[in-house]
Amino acid sequence: MGTDRYAYQSRLRRLDPIAKLTLSFAAVVICLSCGGIWTGICTLIIMGALTTLWGGVRPRVFLRFLRFPMAFLMIGCITIMVNRHPADTPVLFGLPIGGSVWGVTSGSLTHGFGIICKSMGVIASVYFLTLNTPMTDLTFALRRLHVPQLLIELMDLIYRFIFVLSDTASNIRTAQHSRLGYVGFRRSITSLGTLASMVFLRAWSKGDQVYSALESRGYTGILLTLPEEYKKGTACYLAALAVVLIQLLCCFLEVHFI
Amino acid sequence: MTTYAIEAKNLVYTYEDGTKALNSISFRAEAGKITGILGSNGAGKSTLFLNLNGVHTPESGQVFINGQQIPYTKKGIQSLRKEVGIVFQDPDNQLFSADVYRDISFGALNLGLDQEEVRRRVDWAMEKTGITHLKDKPTHALSFGQKKRVAIAGVLVMEPNIMILDEPTAGLDPQGVSAIMHLLLSIRDQLGMTIILATHDMDIVPLYCDYAYLLSDGTMRCSGTPNELFANPELLRSNHLRLPRIAHLMEILKKEDGVQTRGPVSTISEARKELKHILQENQL
Repeated sequence: MGTDRYAYQSRLRRLDPIAKLTLSFAAVVICLSCGGIWTGICTLIIMGALTTLWGGVRPRVFLRFLRFPMAFLMIGCITIMVNRHPADTPVLFGLPIGGSVWGVTSGSLTHGFGIICKSMGVIASVYFLTLNTPMTDLTFALRRLHVPQLLIELMDLIYRFIFVLSDTASNIRTAQHSRLGYVGFRRSITSLGTLASMVFLRAWSKGDQVYSALESRGYTGILLTLPEEYKKGTACYLAALAVVLIQLLCCFLEVHFI
Repeated sequence: MTTYAIEAKNLVYTYEDGTKALNSISFRAEAGKITGILGSNGAGKSTLFLNLNGVHTPESGQVFINGQQIPYTKKGIQSLRKEVGIVFQDPDNQLFSADVYRDISFGALNLGLDQEEVRRRVDWAMEKTGITHLKDKPTHALSFGQKKRVAIAGVLVMEPNIMILDEPTAGLDPQGVSAIMHLLLSIRDQLGMTIILATHDMDIVPLYCDYAYLLSDGTMRCSGTPNELFANPELLRSNHLRLPRIAHLMEILKKEDGVQTRGPVSTISEARKELKHILQENQL
């Protein structure tokens, strides 16, 4: 499911998750705070290169993942670029409707394009983290960063049981389908209702059983676990420094020369 | 003198809704042996196990570990959980982490061991159960049999003296069944661990159990070596169980065709030996 499959195959899988988190977070912060068009594009390229060349994620996979947010961004940015202006505004293209003109000015075009680039840079940075770090490593990193224990345990458990429950749901759904449970609108609605209530009930009883199983292994209120040892993240910290420097340089050039 | 790793005397347990799940159960498991608890669905096997491990507290009755009575106090329950490990029937109920390594480490950390010892034990348990190659996979990507092995490793890591397995063969394919059972044999033989397994898969009983109990409606009906139990097929049948296929075949051969065997026959190798013997006798 989703990005996790790639994270488990990544070459950076065993690297200290805090280092990866730092790299990703630093890139996001710099890209957001001093980002323009070129800083965004530059971040996108660097983080893409790190994910594919260093992490070993295939470029096609990376590009495919970029496509999803791209669609949202496009729609979002059209509403930013297209505005209502007074009739005599110089627009690049537009339609006069009523007493005003609806269109795109060069200013709003740059603004919208800037947002797209900045967002793509940020998204690529986050993808570097998610495509190279399994969820369980991430939660462990958060724990070491002193995020409250309860929150972390909930994240871990929810993440694990999403898969169990989605299996259950899909099994029930198949069983309903096989008995024509989804023929016709009314019946589909009824079946879906039954499915939802069944999944809820199963989750409830599963919770009891999981609790018994945890207790039998000595659970006393804290879900203590130990991950496999990680590789030292020195290279990743150096990479983070390099990325930040390049981003800042880009930003500097952008402000002063473009 | 035989030593008993665990012994239960007159355990009584009633669920909150009034169902009497255990009705004065007494049983014991010899150290370093595999003891089977045979019973149909709903016989009370799982309830018994949860009592033995201190997840449930019995209304009355005692539990002894290595001859010593363990009280159901906070401390007693802690030592029960340390001594007695349970592998549940559905591994999805037991594996709570999406990371195999972290899930296995859970029990060992709860024992309060230091990190180095925990790592040593996790590696050892993974090697023992043959899942070292799975440590880079998320739990949800494993097959049912693999999850079962991870669940066993998660209990082994606590190095209990007694390991209880609830229906260890349920849901596995035939080869998966024999792989898991061989794993249990090697755990018994190499580690000297006492194993208790609940099952209604009668064919594995003569192959792997040293001793067995017949549990039904929360009561132990009878006990004995597998062959002693199979000598009374009607009792098995009246408790929703049956003979192993081979023993059943021999029973029919005896009843319908007058074939006499020298002793009880309930496994393929015993049957082969016996049939060869009969053939040789007839040739003479």
